[in-house]
Amino acid sequence: MGDIDNGSVKDRTFDTIVIGSGMSGGWAAKEFTENGFKTLVLERGRDVQHIKDYPTANMFPYEFEHRGEMPLEVRKANPVINRCYAFREDAAHFFVKDAEHPYIQEKPFDWIRGYQVGGKSLMWAKATQRWSNFDYEGPARDGFAVDWPIRYEDMAPWYSHVEKFVGIAGNKDGLAQLPDGEFLPAFPLNVVEDYFKKQLSQKYRHRHVISERVAHLTQPNPIHFEQGRGQCMSRDLCQRGCPLGGYFSSNSSTIPWAKKTGNLTLRPFSVVHSVIYDDKKNRATGVRVIDTNTKKDIEFYAKVIFVNAGALNSNLVLLNSVSTRFPHGLGNDNGLMGKFVAFHNYSARISAQYNGFKEFTTVGRNPAGGGYMPRFRNLFKQETDFLRGYAAGFSAYRSTNRDDSGTGAGLKQRLLYPERGPWKIGSHMMGETIPKETNMVSLDTDKKDAWGIPLLKISVEYDDNDEKMKQDYFEQFTEMLTEAGFVNIERHNSDQNPGIDIHEMGGIRMGRDPRTSLLNKWNQLYACNNVYVTDGACMTSTSTQNPSLTYMALTARAVDHAIQQCKKGEL
Amino acid sequence: MKRRDVIQRLVIVAGGFVLVPSCLQQPGKASIALKLVEVTDIQEHLLAAVASAIIPATDTPGAGDLGCHLFVLKMLDDCYEKEAQQKFMRGLNDLESYAKQKFSYSFAKCTGQQQQDILKDIEEKKINNADITGFFDIMKEKTLEGYLTSKYVLTNINKYEFIPSEKYNGYAPVKQ
Repeated sequence: MGDIDNGSVKDRTFDTIVIGSGMSGGWAAKEFTENGFKTLVLERGRDVQHIKDYPTANMFPYEFEHRGEMPLEVRKANPVINRCYAFREDAAHFFVKDAEHPYIQEKPFDWIRGYQVGGKSLMWAKATQRWSNFDYEGPARDGFAVDWPIRYEDMAPWYSHVEKFVGIAGNKDGLAQLPDGEFLPAFPLNVVEDYFKKQLSQKYRHRHVISERVAHLTQPNPIHFEQGRGQCMSRDLCQRGCPLGGYFSSNSSTIPWAKKTGNLTLRPFSVVHSVIYDDKKNRATGVRVIDTNTKKDIEFYAKVIFVNAGALNSNLVLLNSVSTRFPHGLGNDNGLMGKFVAFHNYSARISAQYNGFKEFTTVGRNPAGGGYMPRFRNLFKQETDFLRGYAAGFSAYRSTNRDDSGTGAGLKQRLLYPERGPWKIGSHMMGETIPKETNMVSLDTDKKDAWGIPLLKISVEYDDNDEKMKQDYFEQFTEMLTEAGFVNIERHNSDQNPGIDIHEMGGIRMGRDPRTSLLNKWNQLYACNNVYVTDGACMTSTSTQNPSLTYMALTARAVDHAIQQCKKGEL
Repeated sequence: MKRRDVIQRLVIVAGGFVLVPSCLQQPGKASIALKLVEVTDIQEHLLAAVASAIIPATDTPGAGDLGCHLFVLKMLDDCYEKEAQQKFMRGLNDLESYAKQKFSYSFAKCTGQQQQDILKDIEEKKINNADITGFFDIMKEKTLEGYLTSKYVLTNINKYEFIPSEKYNGYAPVKQ
């Protein structure tokens, strides 16, 4: 499949080229091919086909040599990826090993990547929340970055469009800061999560615990069965790939859907070197690719090019796309490409215990993980000495009192039939960070990768605002939990590096003014309008919500625009 | 027969532990292939005895019967620093010396009660020997992990279900 000979120009010409097959690239492929566009999807890694290429999906715990733990040699050789929670024996094959794809950390940054068809959509945590105008209006209201060129009203129909196809489990919670969507039945909260929810609603305004909204098919519709996907059965082994298609990934959904149209050419093992710009035609004409098997250069051509390589790699591709017209990267007239990178601050957790509700426990598994608390800080107005705020996870579970003391028959009995412990809870902070010019990526002038492409230099760090916000999270949660009667409240400050949140964004931001942004409101490069960027690179600010749903909606919206422009002969 | 098939047929499945045997079962060598840790058949036998003392056979098999000591060795070999590996082996030998000194027998030949007494001495830090402590910490932790995730336990006692038989319920009454 996808084995295109280095044949005639005609053979290498498509209506559109999509760089990347992950969350957003898969959506570009789906939308274009459904509309009759001959589409080439380029993926730098190997192919991963739904079900067939999930080697661990049906392995019992005892079938993993080290019970999930990665061998010491692998951990030592891969310090960055080893810090990722999902880099374990059951899913390690979906993550990039440090040494195989080096990059330069000017400041510590854990760049977590998945180079394969489907990208990180295979291993994502599946949380899917809409942004609201508190987010789209955030930079303008609070005076950072630049104003988003779009508002919630521009996005709402595209959120709906995406949600219906993806399948999102959630409740209509009626919150202005977290607009409702097209939902399948939510995973329920448990007794302690519900208790905390009620406590907050009695004691605070605008503080809510809701069921986490996740891309799981709790009750599939015909559109999901048509994709070949079935109901989520709460296996809760998603990171291995789901043989049921119970959660959304490019592999289970958009890519096979695009294939069925007959308009998709999927080409794995294709590293994009650069986008080709024609100085005479004043437009991009195609993409230069290096085949990782043959090491040969190949050029592909198209009317429209979508850049969906993953936030930082999209920066890399465009910065490396130099021409007489664009000596500093395609579309980079203002010199801002690679700058204003931001991420989510996940470096704080809190745990606690609740001594009531001893008559209840949970049975089964909840792949949504529990509750979600949308942002409440600085929401309606500025109220602290830091900008923006944080969302938080909130999950409760009935613990077991495992007693490992002693040896012999007594220990055996205690291990197999442990006593029930109290309810415990865990929360983690998801903080918005402020994009800054100094948080940036650039190309190294000397060092190159195996394909002769400059290495990416990453220079991203936390700032005082992040530190203040973290302290506020600790203080507010300590207060809320104390008020609600929780005990043993413990703060955990991981001080983890930026990047390990796997929500890096920006560098090719959208904006209203070509002097201060790279992309217009349709995600077109201002200076080269047949190139669109619709992955995390386009983000003007980060909000607190998990970003994938917004990437998908932006992509579908941009593809629709590109199709209309093509019909009008504008592209 | 292809080489791969030969290897597959040689794989030892003990209590669900999938381990590659050492080549040709050389006399004096351990029964599984290890990269770094050197273990004799006698030491392996001793480890099985310690595993069985930690989690003995009752009306169900114990950790030694389920091959948990082989899992411990696999983990020791692949997941621990060299210093910890060396300490483990020294501690194992010291434990054997301690058993011989205290009860005049190899640990494996001690009675069940004597074995429990020795492990109790270690747990209660009555033996002032950092190597024995280092050995026992890893031995116990990994024996417990191997036991609780063994095929036997996950099939017969705490049945592992890919698809939970009960739908998620956050208000499930505690059954007494």
